[in-house]
Amino acid sequence: MSVTERRLIRETSFGLTGKLWQVSWLYVLLLCALASVGYVALYSAGGGAEPYASRHILRFAFGLTLMLSIAMVDIRFIARLSWVAYAGGVILLLMVAHMGHVGKGAQRWIDLGGMQWQPSEFMKLALILALASWFHRASWERMGNPLFLLPPALAVLVPVGLILKQPNLGTAVITAVVGATVFLGAGLRWWKVVVLVGAAAAAVPLAYNHLHDYQRARITTFLNPESDPLGAGYNIIQSKIALGSGGMWGKGFMQGTQNHLNFLPEKQTDFVFTIIAEEFGLAGTLAVLGLLTVLVFGGMLMALRCRHQYGRLVALGISMNFFMYVFVNVAMVMGAIPVGGVPLPLISHGGSAMIMVMIAFGVLMSVYVHRDVEFSDGREDG
Amino acid sequence: MTGPAKPRPDGSPAAPDPFSPVRRFGTTLGGSQPQTEHVRVTGPDLARRAAMDRTRDRLLIAAGGFALLFGLVMLRLADATVIRPAHPKAAAVLRHETPLPALRLPTIPAALDLGLHTGRAMVTDRNGELLAVSLPTVGLYANPREIVDASDAVQKLRTVLPRLEVDETLARLSDTGKQFVYLARQITGHEEQAINGLGLPGVYFQSGERRRYPLGRVAAQVLGGVDVDGHGVGGGVEKIFEKRLRDDPSPLHLSLDVRVQAVVRDELVHAMEDFSAIAACGIVMDVRTGEVLAMVSLPDYDANDFASTTTEQQVNRAIGRDYEPGSTFKLQTVSMALDAGTVNIWNGFDATYPIHIGRYSISDFKPKARFLYVPEIIAFSSNIGAAHMAEAVGADRQRQWLGHMGMLDRLGFELPSAEPRAPSEAKWKLASTLTIGFGQGIAVTPLHVVAGTAAVANGGIYMQPTILTPEEGAPPRSGVRVMQQSTSDTVRKLMRLVVTQGFGQAAEVPGYYVGGKTGTAQKTAGGRGYKADARVSAFMGVFPMNAPRYAVYMMLDEPKANASTHGYATAGWVSAPAAGRVIARAAPMLGLLPDTDNASAIAQALNIPLQPGHPPGAKVAIPPPGPPAKETPMAKNAPRAPAAPLGAPTGAPLPALAIPTPATPAEPILRDLRHEALYVAPANAVR
Repeated sequence: MSVTERRLIRETSFGLTGKLWQVSWLYVLLLCALASVGYVALYSAGGGAEPYASRHILRFAFGLTLMLSIAMVDIRFIARLSWVAYAGGVILLLMVAHMGHVGKGAQRWIDLGGMQWQPSEFMKLALILALASWFHRASWERMGNPLFLLPPALAVLVPVGLILKQPNLGTAVITAVVGATVFLGAGLRWWKVVVLVGAAAAAVPLAYNHLHDYQRARITTFLNPESDPLGAGYNIIQSKIALGSGGMWGKGFMQGTQNHLNFLPEKQTDFVFTIIAEEFGLAGTLAVLGLLTVLVFGGMLMALRCRHQYGRLVALGISMNFFMYVFVNVAMVMGAIPVGGVPLPLISHGGSAMIMVMIAFGVLMSVYVHRDVEFSDGREDG
Repeated sequence: MTGPAKPRPDGSPAAPDPFSPVRRFGTTLGGSQPQTEHVRVTGPDLARRAAMDRTRDRLLIAAGGFALLFGLVMLRLADATVIRPAHPKAAAVLRHETPLPALRLPTIPAALDLGLHTGRAMVTDRNGELLAVSLPTVGLYANPREIVDASDAVQKLRTVLPRLEVDETLARLSDTGKQFVYLARQITGHEEQAINGLGLPGVYFQSGERRRYPLGRVAAQVLGGVDVDGHGVGGGVEKIFEKRLRDDPSPLHLSLDVRVQAVVRDELVHAMEDFSAIAACGIVMDVRTGEVLAMVSLPDYDANDFASTTTEQQVNRAIGRDYEPGSTFKLQTVSMALDAGTVNIWNGFDATYPIHIGRYSISDFKPKARFLYVPEIIAFSSNIGAAHMAEAVGADRQRQWLGHMGMLDRLGFELPSAEPRAPSEAKWKLASTLTIGFGQGIAVTPLHVVAGTAAVANGGIYMQPTILTPEEGAPPRSGVRVMQQSTSDTVRKLMRLVVTQGFGQAAEVPGYYVGGKTGTAQKTAGGRGYKADARVSAFMGVFPMNAPRYAVYMMLDEPKANASTHGYATAGWVSAPAAGRVIARAAPMLGLLPDTDNASAIAQALNIPLQPGHPPGAKVAIPPPGPPAKETPMAKNAPRAPAAPLGAPTGAPLPALAIPTPATPAEPILRDLRHEALYVAPANAVR
């Protein structure tokens, strides 16, 4: 970092208090509301504050602190670290491939600080940052240059490949989609987008042949849950029943039979949405979904509001990531797409996922706080 | 980014952004060097601004996409919760049995919601004997969080249930992350009471259902089984009628008769042991209705314990495996030839020499090496004769015939059956015609053979086999006429002849006038060729032949010869006796008593000589027994002799043949086909 650059950063920063004022507290409030929904649902799932709900709220408090701390970090500093984070993510993925913990038929966890982490979650954020940093200064002409697009494409493919090898098809697809969104936001030519989507569609049958048995089971079960009502189809059937039994207004708090009679497997993690559906009905789920939608659109608004390309792309990527969580989870619970361990952010029980989501929101908030800062570089090579 | 939004510490002329910190606090930290060059709008600035604008458009598009997808999700959600909610099925309830004593208090609304009041329907045989029934059971579970002292609880529980594993149970009870752990799936009422008396907090009972099969192995494959959660599994009734059993609480009546079923199984078990066969299968079917009274496949399994079965045990060989039917198929060939009028009962074929065609060589098991009449071909199971007979009919009509007999398609049976393997129409050439004539080169399930033979024996009506007893008051099942009554009558006599004078004599049961056909088929070795010493030996019987009621099929897979069979492992030695014993034991149960009073009359009516002219008073000239004579047997009174076999038109039905009986020896239409039989097919004759 040259002396000039350092000065520039200093010149355009505006103090901790000022930054705190800049934080979108409405957004933080919405996050708290969402976490409270999670508390209520997990309270019901656990039949009391223990064992899920109290831990959930403690983690959220920790995550919120983390988020606000990150929000204070200058986005330009984060931008500088983008590729470092990316390299770290890839290394973590390689580590998990060699020494990770094998659970539920896949090797994707790593023990750290008493919690199990999925490096792929971190990788998604790092990828967003790295891509945004690459495209930050990209002109329309450069976006048309295949040679310019090649390195970021590789940057997407390497982690996606590593995640696929774990194997974790769901996260791999989400990572690819999130990466592609950043490309799209950076101004990828539309015809290339069309070609990409076409290629992805064409790859589906090919990919099917390379899937693991349990992954195929999910897909066949998805197509016909009744084909295997005991094994892979059980979750979907039971969650559908839970959805259906809730009706318009639900059975009431702690009144869900599917929930309390242990019909719902993993109800506190991936299938937490069904508890809400059963106990609070369509009204409850629409309210939660509305809250999630507002959060996604809030992220998009932050992207629009941002005056530098890096921030826009980061905000877009993070919003997309959050959206993918919500969409995949809810669709999965409804049996609209094959099941794949994707939690409902801030509602599902599960520490590492929540912390990662909060870190991502921290970066998003940093984008918002530093929406007007000026990136000093770029002029030289513009 | 340059522009007015940039906070200027020195209050530069650039207008502060309404949201910038300048506006709120009026001051910021940082250096005070104005950098006016940044205000200049340069080319790169414009380019970057353009890029930002594009990104904004894209962001809006992405937001639109999000909105659309969220909208879809919400619509789908409304659909799943309010518009078309899914309802639990009764069987699903059995998985995680509820802590509520729902079966005992069915008035609890939640229990009613879950459909706990409906159990799985019983399955019975045709007489109401229980084959499968769901019984209420009690399971033991615990909520580890309510357990006070896990090790103490384990010790106490073990005083009642010694079968509990200490370590495992302790681990389960100590897992406070759960609220529901199973300890024992089924406990007796005494055990329940004793455990209740222990007064352990956190230990509960749950009511459930347990599928029981009182007869265990009898009819195991027909029933299939259920898994721990009460869902039908396997290829049997439990799975196929899953919905019916769950939705309709009234018992499902199968057409099986457990008494007959048990007899067939018993005889098969013994035969399998005696001849060290690797597998066996037996079927008893009512030839008039197609109802299956017994269907046994060995090795079998205890239906109460489906989980620990192997595929070999699960497969129902009566319908689930294809076998080359072998000589039992000659009944089809002779029926086809007689019904088409191509061959007359007193025609014959030269079986002196093996037939060589392509890579096949067709020879007889016990060569007579002479001219054989049609009855002899059947009685002595001549492959050469049957091949010639099929050749005389031709490929097209053979294919059509077997199609009518259901041999080329999957059975229209309720339970899933294997697809027959037959040559495609293009590949159904002369070699196929010849080999299929004696049941090789085609593979069908045993029930195919039984259904086809039943049609031959019952007067010519093909009855679709069924495993269900028809509802009371339902109209009788109807079949399809596939052959003339007269042909059936003639073939019945031939079937009887097999047992009285042919290879099937061991199946005879006095008073039941058993008829049938033996079949010893070589087993194919993998893809090509046949195994040298592996056979499928089957007896396809029908009784009583004077008024056919039941078809009995007994098959042994890879039987080995033993001392009692003089070194033979052919059907006549291994399967026919078993079929005879089944008939002797089962027929009285089915209400058929041996008819010995009219024995001579019946025998007379069913009699057909091996060769024409033997009956006393016969005035026709006959060829002398032994090697075919040089002179032509008289054929002068054969007014309706059909055209040469391979040139015969297939269209117009030929007039019904009068059934030749020994009493009217002049009637048989004699025609010497020996020259045609010797004929070597020219290339153009195949089509």
